[in-house]
Amino acid sequence: MSRRDSPLLPASDAREAALFFVIGALCFLAALAALTTRGTYKAAEAWGAQIEGDITVIMRDTDRRTAEDAADRVSGLASVFEARILSREEVETLLEPSLGPGGMPDGLPVPMLMVVQADPSLGDPSPNIERILNEVGVDGDVAGNAGYADNVRSALGVLRLVALCIVALLSATAIAVIAFATHAALLARRDIVDVLHLSGAEDRYIASLFERRFWVLALQAGLGGAVAALMITALIVFSGGGANSVETQLLPRLSLDFWDIVILLVTPVMAGLAARIAARLTVLASLKDTL
Amino acid sequence: MSRFRPDLSDEPAVRLDSVSLTYDRTGEVLSEIDLVLRQGSFTFLTGPSGAGKSSLLKLMYLAHAPTRGNIRLFGRQTYDMKRKQLAAIRRRIGVVFQEFRLLDHLTAFENVALPLRVDGQKIDAYSNEVIDLLRWVGLGERVDAPIPSLSGGEQQRVAIARALINKPDLLIADEPTGNVDPEMGRKIMRLFAELNKRVGTTILIATHDLELLREFDSPVLRLSNGLLVRDVEYGAST
Repeated sequence: MSRRDSPLLPASDAREAALFFVIGALCFLAALAALTTRGTYKAAEAWGAQIEGDITVIMRDTDRRTAEDAADRVSGLASVFEARILSREEVETLLEPSLGPGGMPDGLPVPMLMVVQADPSLGDPSPNIERILNEVGVDGDVAGNAGYADNVRSALGVLRLVALCIVALLSATAIAVIAFATHAALLARRDIVDVLHLSGAEDRYIASLFERRFWVLALQAGLGGAVAALMITALIVFSGGGANSVETQLLPRLSLDFWDIVILLVTPVMAGLAARIAARLTVLASLKDTL
Repeated sequence: MSRFRPDLSDEPAVRLDSVSLTYDRTGEVLSEIDLVLRQGSFTFLTGPSGAGKSSLLKLMYLAHAPTRGNIRLFGRQTYDMKRKQLAAIRRRIGVVFQEFRLLDHLTAFENVALPLRVDGQKIDAYSNEVIDLLRWVGLGERVDAPIPSLSGGEQQRVAIARALINKPDLLIADEPTGNVDPEMGRKIMRLFAELNKRVGTTILIATHDLELLREFDSPVLRLSNGLLVRDVEYGAST
């Protein structure tokens, strides 16, 4: 009868099932935190760019035709994506919070409003817009957001830093807990370490048995946690939770792009490495106490 | 049973010089022990419970380092050995532990094969040898039995087979017949004697069994209150 080597370490027991759950849950939380942080980053980027790029031009004592001529010329500027004159209905909607629904008197002179969307990375187009207004003979004010864009930028910077700190803290906690739980599970196998040691096994041989065992366990658990995080993210993304509506502009923008998948793949590998290193250090430390 | 190590002939297998051992809780358990086990000798170690027999054996199979003194095994000083060298020395020592120290999740076959596996040997190379040895100790029908399903005596025989499987240069046994019936005890002792005579394995057996001491004309060392003396009542006079 041909025989095969069976594992020198026993099949997983209740302790390892608990360890599996702990690692899986921590990886789920860490992956979700990392994805949310990335979503926060993206939302902050988009919101910041939008604020810096939005310009409102208030035009007084002019007719719609002249205003639209000015908007056409502004649209032609290199840094401008779009420039258009708001319709009366849109202006009424804007004033509704102040005047109430249908509260705008018919004869009220309403200034023409031009909304301009520009690319802030190509510089502030306000001087060029003012020049065009002068050229078409319109009395108007250019109201850009550049004045408080620096404040917005620093606020977004703090938001990003906080999000990064949360991920770093959660990741460090996950690694520490995984290492501690691995250490505890391994101490319960001290009898096996002793028998192998006294049978003449070298330290490296014994350590490699435990390293392999806990590496695989943590990798599987981490993969489970990452898959759970993927499912939750997919649920949010495909149910419209990541939509770019006015109400959700400041919420994290969850997605499932390349880097999100990288995060999900790296999470179990990190857990596996933490468990593997913890197993190695624990075995070698316990053997160090022996001759 | 054919391994021969000519380099050992000039040096004792075991040499202890002024060895003492102190545990934190119980204080000194061995005091200034001087001992030489010549290559190919067969020696008994006896003494009352708590005298330090197991502690002395642990020093010899390198489970502990002495608090003071020197231990030489196979002619080599052990205190300055690297861990890799200590592991290599351990592979030349077969140990029958008093508490067996079998791995419950492995079968009898796998426990016996452990020293060979640790030594890097392939299962195909040692499979028949392991089965033969298990048959010899009367466990031919229990080769693949899990350890928890074996009786105390059967487990002891597995432990003995594990100690013998790699044909050690030094065999250290702590009460090896304590859990087997007298007939199996005699059989095991005859195996030890055969190993000693035919292969030259150095054997040290710790036992309380006075019948064994009478039956085998071998030197008997007695440990008492941490001190080692040669017993003149039993065993060989040399």
